Amino acid sequence: MKKNLLFALGFAGITALQAQEAKKIDFVEYDLDNGMHVILHEDHSTPIVSVSVLYHVGSKNEDPDRTGFAHFFEHLLFEGSENIERGEFFKIVQGNGGVLNANTSFDRTFYYEVLPSNQLELGLWLESERMLHAKIDQKGVETQRGVVKEELKQRYENTPYGTILPETFAHAYEKHPYQWTPAGSAEYINKASLEEFMEFYEIFYVPNNATLSIAGDIDIKETKKMVEKYFGSIPKGTKEIPRPDIVEPKKTAEVRDTVYDNIQLPAVVMGYHMPAQGEEDFYAVSMLSQLLSQGESSRFQKVVKDEKEKAIAVGAFPLPTEDPGLALMFGITNMGVTADDLEAAMNEEIKRTQEELISEKEFEKLRNQVENDFISGNSSVRGLAENLANYHVYFGDANLINTEIDRYMKVTREDIKEVANKYFKKENRVVLYYLPKGEDKSEKSN
Amino acid sequence: MKKLFISALALAFATTTIAQVDRSKMPEPGPAPKIELGKTESFTLDNGLKVFVVENHKLPKVAYSLSLNIDGILEGDKAGTADLAGDLLSKGTENRTKEEINFGIDYIGARLNTYSMGVYASSLTKHQEKLLDIMADVVKNAKFDEEELEKLRKQYISGLQTEINDPDAIASKVRKALLFGKDHPYGEVVTEETLENITLEDIQEYYSTYFRPNIAYLAVVGDVTVKEVKPLIKKHFGDWEKGEVPNQEFEMPSQPQITEVAFVNRPGAVQSVISVFNTIDLKPGSEDDIPASIANGILGGGFISKLNLNLREENAYTYGARSSINSDKLVGNFYASAKVRNEVTDSALTEMLNELMEMRKGEITQDELTTIKNYRTGTFAYSLENPQTKARFAINIDKYNLPEDYYETYLEKIAAVTLDKVKEVSKEYINPMNGYILVVGNQEEVAEKIKKFSPSGKINFYDPFGNEVEETTLKPAPEGVTAQTVIDQYIEAIGGKKNLDKVKSLKMLMSMNMQGFEIEMNSYFGENGEYLSETSTPMGSSKQVFDGEKAKVESPRGNQMLEGEQLEAMKYEAVIFPELQFFTDKYEVNLKGVDTKADQKVYAVEVVKANGKKQMNYYSVESGLLVLSTQEVETQMGMMTQETHYENYKAVNKVKFPHTYKQNAGPQSMEITVNEVEVNPDLEEGLFKIEE
Repeated sequence: MKKNLLFALGFAGITALQAQEAKKIDFVEYDLDNGMHVILHEDHSTPIVSVSVLYHVGSKNEDPDRTGFAHFFEHLLFEGSENIERGEFFKIVQGNGGVLNANTSFDRTFYYEVLPSNQLELGLWLESERMLHAKIDQKGVETQRGVVKEELKQRYENTPYGTILPETFAHAYEKHPYQWTPAGSAEYINKASLEEFMEFYEIFYVPNNATLSIAGDIDIKETKKMVEKYFGSIPKGTKEIPRPDIVEPKKTAEVRDTVYDNIQLPAVVMGYHMPAQGEEDFYAVSMLSQLLSQGESSRFQKVVKDEKEKAIAVGAFPLPTEDPGLALMFGITNMGVTADDLEAAMNEEIKRTQEELISEKEFEKLRNQVENDFISGNSSVRGLAENLANYHVYFGDANLINTEIDRYMKVTREDIKEVANKYFKKENRVVLYYLPKGEDKSEKSN
Repeated sequence: MKKLFISALALAFATTTIAQVDRSKMPEPGPAPKIELGKTESFTLDNGLKVFVVENHKLPKVAYSLSLNIDGILEGDKAGTADLAGDLLSKGTENRTKEEINFGIDYIGARLNTYSMGVYASSLTKHQEKLLDIMADVVKNAKFDEEELEKLRKQYISGLQTEINDPDAIASKVRKALLFGKDHPYGEVVTEETLENITLEDIQEYYSTYFRPNIAYLAVVGDVTVKEVKPLIKKHFGDWEKGEVPNQEFEMPSQPQITEVAFVNRPGAVQSVISVFNTIDLKPGSEDDIPASIANGILGGGFISKLNLNLREENAYTYGARSSINSDKLVGNFYASAKVRNEVTDSALTEMLNELMEMRKGEITQDELTTIKNYRTGTFAYSLENPQTKARFAINIDKYNLPEDYYETYLEKIAAVTLDKVKEVSKEYINPMNGYILVVGNQEEVAEKIKKFSPSGKINFYDPFGNEVEETTLKPAPEGVTAQTVIDQYIEAIGGKKNLDKVKSLKMLMSMNMQGFEIEMNSYFGENGEYLSETSTPMGSSKQVFDGEKAKVESPRGNQMLEGEQLEAMKYEAVIFPELQFFTDKYEVNLKGVDTKADQKVYAVEVVKANGKKQMNYYSVESGLLVLSTQEVETQMGMMTQETHYENYKAVNKVKFPHTYKQNAGPQSMEITVNEVEVNPDLEEGLFKIEE
């Protein structure tokens, strides 16, 4: 809720994982009768517990004329329930020593509390209240409508280069709902009504569309009892849960456009269509992006930024998504450098990955980076609970938290070259130039 | 208008009640878990390097974090030296090229960050020897290179360009410049000029002066044991040479006597970053430190704080409002801030200031205190999940001379904070009356509305680097428009020269209401340049009279002949239509451009009288009428801008006169109603006669 939308540009392409040498992460998982999936991980190193619920609904489930709805709804689910007065949700959590938040992505909505471990039951009560009988009144809707619109301004309109994600996805997709981001548009946020929220709640906020993931200082047996107590009797959803099956048509021509923004330095953004997370090629694309931009010795940092001095910042980030997504590249020009110059330098490095096989040594570097990143991703119980839930929901296998690294390790040098040719080609991409508003020739400046 | 309305009809999503659980009651907590801080091992090398080791075996990782204990360094016209030096550290050593450092770090999947006051390095534990090898080399043997400096300088200057449009960067920079002043290390601003002044020698000098083990802490955190790392650290840092490090002293920055309102224009902005701040004298670990942080927690420390509940949850002005109270060895600060849409910038500031004043008045409940104490207790435990926290605690104890058990008894200290103490520290440290209100936003749409927050009636404008600038909504006037055409348009608008010339004398009867008292003011203009102004109040009457040569003031406090400057000023007062004389030697008139004032486009005209007195007149672009004039006046609170708005123009004898005057200077404002205007009246014989 506070740090929403999962969408800082820094959001690295690699979801946290596990390496061979790290200790195995143990967990138990099971389904309740109502279809809710439960994952429990026990870790006593700090007396805290993370209670989280992942609902398998995100912006791709929205109507095209209600974009931003899932995220707006996430805000409303802090309003209260049959037993929690409006505004009390935050107070209860914080007044009992906990922190809480939520975020909405293209594919799912995630809520969590991190509490002192003796407050586990409180966390379960809160999340079950939210699932069973959330309550929202018109004042809550109107207030959060205003808050959400301010959030959009703060993140996008009023931030230099802030519209990069919405612009890139809007240009990259014609049919698939990834053409809008979870932020949505203020126009549709204005239109969303209480009745529509109620319907959305009945369809998607049901136990059979939810994963409860708990990690921290818990006793598994006791926790199972408490989970049953609070969630066991929540009725299963009765409506069919729609999943969009729209396939974005194969791209045949490069898309190019210019965005005028409140900025001084031009920027170049590229988005290459790439496979969905978990696909075999996804891992190779991910390592290819690493080759381009992770660390000072990477191609972009070393050549484009340092040697050629074309950029003050440059990066490549594959955005992992449930349906085929985008590998994003982004650079802000150095003084006196045009967007064309910068693009040419980036293109040249991409071309090199298509023509030359990388060296053994550089390949070894990528593998070591993968290993380090996997291990680092599970440092907090909050992150761990989320990773477990993601693996279950997206891949149907929570144990990938221990084994997904094997998929990276199967990638060969040849695979990296192959995916560079297969996906990083012109007709498969969007290129956006971000230029200072003053350079917009289409309207006369005053 | 806000679309806020409370609907009694709350729609519940489901009404099924579940039998076996009593959901109406919040579950009781289990027995409170014990919070173990654990021991942080420490040792000091012969060269003075203080090492702290926190073992944490959860992940096979280790982080080495070196930080220099420097209070602050004043860099003056070379601001940015330390930052550049920090970045240049990793660009080559006596033993390694930049490429060797970069590839060496990346190859083991590690991270290395160098900055002005330290170096941070982390990797999987199995790679730690290689990591330490590079890290120690960078710390001890950095070699600076002209070409690298130039490269980085260019990037820094480009970086400044991106900050010009970043509202957060601007707000933070200008806040610091205002709070601490540019002569304090905390308030220095890096600009293109200061960056250009920095030489390779300066970088070298900074490095060899400050990168010394005797002022450094090294925190080792992760999957290691003290036994294992001690020899490693001795090996890598034992030969690091100590040195004499100068310690600069700084004066406490001064604060404004009354609230200063500052504005940074960000053209096209759709939100304003509003903030209120003041410096405080609050040292880390001092008696007030924890109570002050509790007070801040109540005011703006989190989601359920007063500021956020008001500005976000009650009014939907913002995505979030927060405040902070920061203790510091040199000078601390308090600040509150939020990003709000343009239209509600003033309302949001009003609410923010209200909350601050409520805190000062002690409007805090026991319930609020209990909630924040619980929150702080819980998040203390949460913070310990990150093993870096424990290292930070150990370093703080040394740095700020805290008692050894400061953090072990931290929760007890939180529990001991009383309501009275919170009220006391709130009053002490939340002090906007001697602080600043800063708005970074769209000047055209917002600036006018926040004037009312300035006790002096004045807004000071700054550029994104904290330099004071002239108010800048002013744009050049279109071609062909001159002072002459503006004034001609005005004269035409109020009736034309022919009709104005027919006004030989004038009587104006006016009234105003001030604090419940009716005050009458009448002005008379004679045919020969005479002038009389009478004011009568329930407390007595006064008048100013000018007979064409001499002038006199009569009031209950005594009578006085006016001379010199005051007499000169009266001569100007006695003119019915000053605009008719603008292009004579009595005035100098300059068109400054087109501006936005009083919600409309206006021509800004500077009028300088022969006596040197200056004022600004603003004529409506659309109607041609004079809508506003401003001038600097001397008051008990210092120089202030006095504004006079002219409204409600009505024609008398084919000449339009404003029938409402609104005047304000600082917090004072008054509205004068013109009840009657008579052109060429029969004036009483001897009305302007002066008896000396």
